[in-house]
Amino acid sequence: MSETNSSVAMKRSASAGSSAVSIDTIESLTELDELERVYQQLCEEEKLVDSELEGLVSQRGNIETKMLALQRMGPNLQLIEGDASQLSGMITFTCSLAENVSSKVRQLDLAKNRLYQAIQRADDILDLKFCTDGVQTALRNEDYEQAAAHVHRYLSLDQSVIELSRQGGESSAVDASLALLQEAEQKLKALVKERLDQAIADGDLAQVERFFKIFPLLGLHDQGLARFAQYLCTQLASKSEENLILAVGGELGERRAALIFADTLTLLLEGIARIVETHQPIVETYYGPGRLYTLIKHLQVECDRQAEKVVDKFIRQRDYQNKFQIVQSSMMRSVPTEKMEPRELDPVLLEVAVMNARAELYLRFLRRRITADFEVGDATAPKATAQEHQQSMEKLLKHCLLSRTMQELIGYYIPMEEYYMRESVNKAVAMDTFEKGQLTSSMVDDCFYIVKKCISRALSSSSIDCLCAMINHATSVLESDFREVLCNKLRQGFPATTLQDIQRGVSSAVSLMQSSLQQGKFNTMAMGIESAEDAKASFLVTLNNVEVCSENIITLKKNLENDCAKLFSQGFGSGEQAQAKIDSCLADLVSTSSKFKDLLQEGLTELNNTAIKPQVKPWISNFLSISHNIEEDEFNEYEANDPWVQQFIVNLEQLMAEFKAGLSPVIYDTLTSLMTSLISLEMEKAVLKCTFSRLGGLQFDKELRSLVAYLTTVTTWTIRDKFARLTQMATILNLERVTEILDYWGPNSGPLTWRLTPAEVRQVLALRIDFRSEDIKRLRRTSKRDLLA
Amino acid sequence: MSMEDYDHLFKIVLIGNAGVGKTCLVRRFTQGLFPPGQGATIGVDFMIKTVEINGEKVKLQIWDTAGQERFRSITQSYYRSANALILTYDITCEDSFRCLPEWLREIEQYANSKVVTVLVGNKIDLTEKREVLRERAEEFAEAQSMLYLETSAKESDNVEKLFLDLACKLIREAKQNSLVNSVSSPMPGEGKTISYLNCCS
Repeated sequence: MSETNSSVAMKRSASAGSSAVSIDTIESLTELDELERVYQQLCEEEKLVDSELEGLVSQRGNIETKMLALQRMGPNLQLIEGDASQLSGMITFTCSLAENVSSKVRQLDLAKNRLYQAIQRADDILDLKFCTDGVQTALRNEDYEQAAAHVHRYLSLDQSVIELSRQGGESSAVDASLALLQEAEQKLKALVKERLDQAIADGDLAQVERFFKIFPLLGLHDQGLARFAQYLCTQLASKSEENLILAVGGELGERRAALIFADTLTLLLEGIARIVETHQPIVETYYGPGRLYTLIKHLQVECDRQAEKVVDKFIRQRDYQNKFQIVQSSMMRSVPTEKMEPRELDPVLLEVAVMNARAELYLRFLRRRITADFEVGDATAPKATAQEHQQSMEKLLKHCLLSRTMQELIGYYIPMEEYYMRESVNKAVAMDTFEKGQLTSSMVDDCFYIVKKCISRALSSSSIDCLCAMINHATSVLESDFREVLCNKLRQGFPATTLQDIQRGVSSAVSLMQSSLQQGKFNTMAMGIESAEDAKASFLVTLNNVEVCSENIITLKKNLENDCAKLFSQGFGSGEQAQAKIDSCLADLVSTSSKFKDLLQEGLTELNNTAIKPQVKPWISNFLSISHNIEEDEFNEYEANDPWVQQFIVNLEQLMAEFKAGLSPVIYDTLTSLMTSLISLEMEKAVLKCTFSRLGGLQFDKELRSLVAYLTTVTTWTIRDKFARLTQMATILNLERVTEILDYWGPNSGPLTWRLTPAEVRQVLALRIDFRSEDIKRLRRTSKRDLLA
Repeated sequence: MSMEDYDHLFKIVLIGNAGVGKTCLVRRFTQGLFPPGQGATIGVDFMIKTVEINGEKVKLQIWDTAGQERFRSITQSYYRSANALILTYDITCEDSFRCLPEWLREIEQYANSKVVTVLVGNKIDLTEKREVLRERAEEFAEAQSMLYLETSAKESDNVEKLFLDLACKLIREAKQNSLVNSVSSPMPGEGKTISYLNCCS
């Protein structure tokens, strides 16, 4: 173990290179073996060292060349170092140079700016001098435009520069110029004002315009506009007053006279519109955009004053207020002391509508013009300013005296128009006439003519609120007043009793009665009959009236919608809001149509109950007196002489003939529908009270077919459905055997949908005297799984 | 009306003297705004707001009228078809309270007999300027069998409550009229608003 250890240690030392085996170890060796082994080891080590040495020696050449190369590079490195330091020096130099240059450029720039300022100032001072001289000359030559241009130039100079110049060396000269200029400015301002006032006083348009143009050059925009407006207002006032005097005193044709105040107002408003139209370009050119509002604001004051005069005269001359008071008091009390003929209101109402329409047109014109002008002026202004301008315009237009005056006129107009409508409708109702051959009476057409007229007049005023108010009143008149009238007429009922009494026991009573009437017999009875006939006709006409009303309302609404669309397309009303208001009011109006429809339905039900039911019921009960428990002989006899159904059909025909002639097709159709329902119901009851033989069932089937065939011809409704139960009864009554029903029932029913319950089927089966009740009962048992159970 | 996407439609008309805050009440309720410096209303204005009450959509058609005398005849034409009237006065203005009997006469004359009338005292945010005591108004309302509520359109006090309670009452009356009493009628306070006209939720 120790040997291996030592050998390892030797190897280690060998690889370390310094010594193979330590001298001490060798000296301590005594054994030959050991010695040899160590020698061997040392020899191997030597070989190893030799080869290593050789390897190292062989590398020497390589290393030497590398060393050589390195030595050759040495001087180069020094060169590079020198270059680098040189480059750095150059860069530093360039940098400082650049900085040097740029600071000079900056100085140059500053110098240039200062130079420009100096030039500007020199220019300004020159200008100032030039202006000073120019103003003097211009003033001397009365060339105010030129003078104003010089002052304008002076005013547009930078005031601080002037101030600076004064502190400079040439202060005295500049001071003198400035003093001169300021003096000239004051002088010019005073002069121009004076001359403009003079021109205004003289009414010299050319001079007015001349000096008006100078004001903005002197920075007196508002004063200029105010003075110019003052001139325009005086022109306006004298023209308008002249027109009003003409209107009140002038001899006019009837047609013109009726609308003279509306015409006078129109002239006034058109005049202002024309002024705006003509003078807008001057204002825009010399005062810049956005100034039109100021001008119009001044003009509107005069417009308000003149319009008020016209309206005042109108109110006095036409007795407008008084008329309103009469109308109001007669509407408040049920028994009016002083009643106004509605026709008397016609002209004033028309005139007010025209006046308002003109005012609306005028205000719309102003709104359009001012908005357009502001749009140009405020193109670069902040949003808030634009909004503020918009608001001040709205305020001016909405709350100006003209608007308020018109609102007041419309405020009186509405109750008067309402009164006109109500009274005229009442009149139409009172004068209602009915011509034979016509379906409706005069009041329906009259009433709708009036309503339409009133709403159209309100619409022609161009006031959306006025229109809406009149639509509301129309709805009220139709729904309450007029519907009430029709309702009361229907409530009087359809007199059926008289006819019925006579008819009882007399076959084909109607024809007999008519013949006796023609012969002039039964005079007293005829009187009663006549009034009854009248009442009947009146009832039928009322039904027609109700139907036409509900149709007319829908038509009226449609027409109004179209008319309003036209109004809106011309730009009246403030957009969606107005549209929504009108839509809502029209929706209320049209909803009254369905109320008339309900009334019609009530009336028809009443007619069916009083006029049809009492007649039809006995005719159907006649069915019971005809035996359907019959044999071959009787069946043949029935074949030859129909016992019931033909007469029933004739009776129905006669009964309905009157209604067919007196009612509109639509109503008649509804009535026949009610009638067929009644017949099918009553027939069912009758059948269930009968007994049938096999041939009796066949007979009933024939009768039913005839009846259904007839009723199909008189109505456009499909009546098969109404007779479905009866037809199914007939089918059951026609069976050969009880069990045959199973061919039609349940899974075998095919396309047939049974309207009869299983219990009803058994009930009908039991009507056949030849069907045994046990069989029917058995049916229940045998077909438990079927629905017949 | 094309698509009827609601269960009830009620017309509510606001009336009362000029300047008592009718327009502000309507704006506050329909748009959630209190626009200061509102000019006087001209004629009538018209707003719509749909609210939900007990799962039923109720469309409220609110007519805001001008208080000034010269618009009276326009305003009157809307009374007849109104389901409810909100008679408004200004608690800081004795005059507007004193005019109430006159307004009641108008209602008597023009409105239909089934109309629901609510008396509203507006501007309670101006406490220090109050001229009409609450008790006095309550007494008056009770004598005329009206509902009474005090509101502030500015602070949005009681505004929602006013319209929603009114809607509840109108639904209850409508249901009583159509004889469907069995269906549970909403009680005041159950309403909630669906949307402002231009809400960004």
